Amino acid sequence: MAVVDRVAQNAGPSTDRPSASRPLVARLQGISIVVALVGLAALFSLPTLWLVLISFKKEVEWVSYPIVILPSSAEVYNYYFAVTMFPYLRYFWNSVVLSTTYTALVVLSSAAAGFGFARHPGAPGRGPLFGLVMGMMMVPWLVTVVPQYIVFSKLGLLNSYWPWVLWGISGSPFHIFLFRQFFAGIPRDLDDAAEVDGCGRFRLFWQIYLPNSLPAVAASSIFAFTWVWGDWLFPKLFLHDQITTLAVKLQTAYVDPYNQPLVTITMAGVVLYVLPMVLVFFVAQRLIIQGVVTTGMKG
Amino acid sequence: MTVSATSAPRPAPRRRFQGRAWRETVSFYLFISPWLLGFLGLSVLPLALGFAASLTNYDGYNLDSLRFRGLDNYARALDDTEVWHALWRTVVFSVMNVPLSIGLALFLAILLNNSIPARGVFRTIFYLPHVIPIVAVVWIWRIFVDQNYGLVNGILSWVWPDTAIRWTVDFPTQVLTALTVWTGVGGGMVIFLAGLQGVPSELKDAARMDGATTPQLYRAVILPLLTPVIFFELVLTMIRSLQTLVAPMLLAGDQLASIPVRDNYLFLVHAYQQVFAQQRYGYGLALIWMFLVVILVLTYAVFKTSKYWVYYEVDQDGGQR
Repeated sequence: MAVVDRVAQNAGPSTDRPSASRPLVARLQGISIVVALVGLAALFSLPTLWLVLISFKKEVEWVSYPIVILPSSAEVYNYYFAVTMFPYLRYFWNSVVLSTTYTALVVLSSAAAGFGFARHPGAPGRGPLFGLVMGMMMVPWLVTVVPQYIVFSKLGLLNSYWPWVLWGISGSPFHIFLFRQFFAGIPRDLDDAAEVDGCGRFRLFWQIYLPNSLPAVAASSIFAFTWVWGDWLFPKLFLHDQITTLAVKLQTAYVDPYNQPLVTITMAGVVLYVLPMVLVFFVAQRLIIQGVVTTGMKG
Repeated sequence: MTVSATSAPRPAPRRRFQGRAWRETVSFYLFISPWLLGFLGLSVLPLALGFAASLTNYDGYNLDSLRFRGLDNYARALDDTEVWHALWRTVVFSVMNVPLSIGLALFLAILLNNSIPARGVFRTIFYLPHVIPIVAVVWIWRIFVDQNYGLVNGILSWVWPDTAIRWTVDFPTQVLTALTVWTGVGGGMVIFLAGLQGVPSELKDAARMDGATTPQLYRAVILPLLTPVIFFELVLTMIRSLQTLVAPMLLAGDQLASIPVRDNYLFLVHAYQQVFAQQRYGYGLALIWMFLVVILVLTYAVFKTSKYWVYYEVDQDGGQR
């Protein structure tokens, strides 16, 4: 966690010296690093910039040749058509409902399992079971999805949100690992104090550990929500057209009578679909990056 | 109950099942029970069923005429030229994608590990594509590399007028790679950055004292210390890359079929087509299980190479004394 804190604080590296005493070579090095970063950052932003620009262009500006970089005026009607050409808000809502349901369940279930693994050192079978959790992070998801699809279809659970409820209840290895790492960092004294006061394990988890782990809860929630929000394959496979998510609809929703995609309107729809994710990222950037680092580096 | 258990001494085994250890065990299994039940029902059971189905002629409906076929599906897969084509394209894609993803992530992390202005802004710019959902990523790239109106050909036309490269037709795997690197590099970057910041400053200072230049410092001190993180990222990126499925399907853009162009016809795309388009469940599952073995073998091979290049701090205490 020390590593994470250092990243979060943006602490400068130890080789940092006052610029006046820097030799010329070092200063040239610094300048070339900034130039390289600016160039790469420009390159990285181009696709997104192009998306935003096109979402504000008129159709004739998008199909003009040679290309026009900037729209002559912001065509906000693209956004109006994006939400009215098909019931955009209904599918937006579907995405919200499905993502929220899964997120609430998976966070609770994973936190419980994480607490189990972090705070029961004497329980027999703990080590091998945690090995299984880690192992499942490596198993290709398609190996389980196809049989799950068969089972769900036999049980009549296709075209409902039940698969997401079941996936949520059973937690996710990634989230379990995140919580286990976080809980392991909480001082043990709390447990003992709580036990002396006659507090059971469940109350310990519910009233002490969870409220003291809001960063982990937030990171886990964001990861879970983002995952369902961005997923295309599972709603495509498991849900019919009326109850599917925005991700699936966006692929094909905006077409003219000849079935040709209406690009400028599609881009407006894409911007509206991506915007919540970008906003969440800006609000919770530090939490997200900490979460990525915690789970990506094994502590 | 508790009073009698503590006051009257009992034989050791019975005490074990009523005391602290027993309560801890019960509590542990209660806490992990949602995961454990889900693991049994949604992982173990499907894995077993899936493997069983891969040994049959199951097509989703023929439970009455289900036949045990042994390893027929697997043997058939080996004779399927499409399988070899798809496997080859998956290898080609991964050979481009994995080194580029890791190399660029590492390069960006090293650049950002300097004291430069607006570090946070740069980090955000490079990470941002990572939060964009795949459907949006593919739309963004389809219009970015559009033959007539895309920005890439537009910019190229300023230098070479009337550039009209058909990127998604003539260079589909390159486009797929660019898109995958673009959206994936941010995650690796922040992990490498954290690793770089975790390098003890005593070591860097000591190397500086000995007159090491920055490249020497990286080659001799920092990168060796970072190899465990690089290794972990390498394994994860490789597994992820081999399992690529959605991006090529979305890139194909056809409303119903979603069959990628030949060059992007990757292994899991082929398996997906067998299962969900052709209803060949048994055959498709055999393909997926074969692929699982391929992934495991490759992962094992990468783990085997680790002893030649990954630095583990096993004798750190001895070294510091």
